[in-house]
Amino acid sequence: MTGMADMDRRMMLERMAWLLGAAALPGEALAKAAPRRAARRFLTPARLALLSAVADTMIPKTETPGALDAKVPAKFDALLLNWASPQRRIELVGTLAKINQAALASEKLGFVALSPAKRNAVLTAYDAAALKPVPDTRGLKGMAAMMAGPSVADASYAKLRELIISLFFYSEEALTSVLTFEHTPGGWTPSVKVTPQTRNTGGLGMF
Amino acid sequence: MFDAIVVGSGMSGGMSAKELCEAGLKVLVIERGRKMVHGESYTDSLQPWEVPNAGMVPELDLARHYKHQGTSFINAATQQYWVKDDENPYIVPADKPFEWIRGYHLGGRSIMWGRQSYRLSAQDFEANAKDGHGVDWPIRYEDLAPWYSKVETFIGVAGDRDGLPQLPDGEFLPAFGLNDGELMFKAAVEAKFPGRKVISGRTANLSKAAPHHEELGRSSCQARSICDRGCSYGAYHSSLSSSLPAAERTGNLTIVTDAIVHSLIHDPKTGKVTGVRTIDQNTKVGKTWEAKIVFLNASTIGTAQILLNSKSEAMPRGLANGSDQVGRNLMDHLFALSTAGIFPNGPQDSFYHGRRPTGIYIPRFRNVTEEGDGFVRGYGYQGGVSRMGWRSGMGQPGIGAQLKERAAKLGPWFSFISGFGEMLPNPENRVTLSATQKDQWGIPVVEINCTHGPNEAKMVKQILADGKAMIEAAGGIVVSQAEGPGTPGLGIHEMGTARMGRDPKTSVLNQFNQAHDVPNLFITDGAAMASNGCQNPSLTYMALSARAAHFASGFLKEGKL
Repeated sequence: MTGMADMDRRMMLERMAWLLGAAALPGEALAKAAPRRAARRFLTPARLALLSAVADTMIPKTETPGALDAKVPAKFDALLLNWASPQRRIELVGTLAKINQAALASEKLGFVALSPAKRNAVLTAYDAAALKPVPDTRGLKGMAAMMAGPSVADASYAKLRELIISLFFYSEEALTSVLTFEHTPGGWTPSVKVTPQTRNTGGLGMF
Repeated sequence: MFDAIVVGSGMSGGMSAKELCEAGLKVLVIERGRKMVHGESYTDSLQPWEVPNAGMVPELDLARHYKHQGTSFINAATQQYWVKDDENPYIVPADKPFEWIRGYHLGGRSIMWGRQSYRLSAQDFEANAKDGHGVDWPIRYEDLAPWYSKVETFIGVAGDRDGLPQLPDGEFLPAFGLNDGELMFKAAVEAKFPGRKVISGRTANLSKAAPHHEELGRSSCQARSICDRGCSYGAYHSSLSSSLPAAERTGNLTIVTDAIVHSLIHDPKTGKVTGVRTIDQNTKVGKTWEAKIVFLNASTIGTAQILLNSKSEAMPRGLANGSDQVGRNLMDHLFALSTAGIFPNGPQDSFYHGRRPTGIYIPRFRNVTEEGDGFVRGYGYQGGVSRMGWRSGMGQPGIGAQLKERAAKLGPWFSFISGFGEMLPNPENRVTLSATQKDQWGIPVVEINCTHGPNEAKMVKQILADGKAMIEAAGGIVVSQAEGPGTPGLGIHEMGTARMGRDPKTSVLNQFNQAHDVPNLFITDGAAMASNGCQNPSLTYMALSARAAHFASGFLKEGKL
């Protein structure tokens, strides 16, 4: 079993790795990078703010709730803490840093400091470039190959995106507004007429 | 002393226990895993947002504990059911991977199963004799048919009576109907290929619970399709929801959990087994249990392991292994041979309500109504046609409001059909015991040596070609197709390691699933299978269990054992 002290040490090592490669984040934000153990947060406040801005841009509040309403940033942070491997953490946080770099490169401001419209423009461009199909060199076979999704230019961004989207659409907010979900439908009706009000159903399963 | 010991509480062990208890025998069920309680041990009440980690098993846990199980259907809501591979190791050659998928707990894999329930046919029971692979089954379809009926009635199988000789009809509850996309697919496939049928997948879910189901506390399926978490409604058959409660109400059942069977005890004077040695999985304390008869239902590989580890001076190759066939002829269905397609021509004004716990099934047609291209036996397909859900297009570029709109909009009709192919019995595909490596309980770990042969390779090609042709026949565009079969084991249909047969020199069990060499030992799990057909096998295991229990209890009462 991994003790808390070991966990903290490992996190510190990872954070050091990010610091070495994370020139995108403002120095002030990095200075505040010390984790608050009591809060059981993984991301620093600055990175959480960056993640929140990205998630809000990816899934904004419209006439239905958005990622912030569904507390996606906090859930994402919990995934980093409880689900992600050290390598995955580095990749995901590194991707956030790259998005910030893109904002700095094009707008001379960090992503968080941009207006919603500018954030949308930066992330839309980043999204299009990162999800560009590339030849598949993953060597996957069988079901794994079929389930893995397309091979894209930036697999780490694709994962970040997938996690944000999944956390949102698994949320109670999304499943009661954007999609529909009944935990207990009560029975199977094989044919139902589609109406203008018909929305996709959600849930954890494939179908 | 008990009348009978049943080793294992999964699909076949549960049915063996039920039938033996109902025959009036005092029965001890020995389960190697922990106790689980129907309902309270399940996770089916969790809403999507309540499942930890968005349904994902932590990556380090997967790497550390689930090297093999992680290649199957494990998720955060079902993690408790899958064994930790690092704590339950086995050995495979580097060039012959085998994924041994396991669930060690009361109820075994009957909690985790896919519930597809099909009879083997007359053709299947005659196949070995006709083409010479394996040994002839000592029974024919007619021998097992009434037991199929008994089991289907008890467990509840939803399906249509389709009138197909290669997939005999049974005692069915109403089928889960095909949706409009599937009806379109069915019409097109059956028109283009007159020998092929697209039917509702027959499944052990109570589409409409009968009174005898309700007496056991079971109720009708609520179309939640989270069966893999366990169903508090008892709407699908498992040992926990169905067969063990039926056994328990006789007053004849005793269950011990956390008891790993080390070996069976054989008395060379009588030629019979006298009991079972167990090791407590937590305290590692050994214990001996005695009974007049023993049913081995430890699953195909586990049963072989116990037999091989029960060697004695009288039986130096292992218990009941005079034929040297124990551990051999390991089979698993060809699996993961999937083809996916989109139907732009699907009925756009149609949807469905509920999450059906089954899909479509395309029964075997090769070497039935159409010849196979250079191979014997055949395959069926499982799958479905459904509207692409919110994930459709989520991998495509686009963020913001448009992403939400895209998720909410019904996608096109999408089909996914996956071939399940028969694997020939091959004595070189086998389970042996390691001479050097033991598990934490001091039991030699198994070495699994299993690979697909030339017949399977030819079959794979045609499974994929036929899958593509059927989707295209229905106007579909194939968007994805597997390149080859999944690793052996991933079908989770292991069979054959103590096969039935007519000749004690070439088989382990006779026509009553009774060991040729040990008259009071019965084996009715997948180990008993002389061939594997292409149908999901659990229903056959249960029918064999019920039938063998009938004969065993009769023999015992008649003083023949």
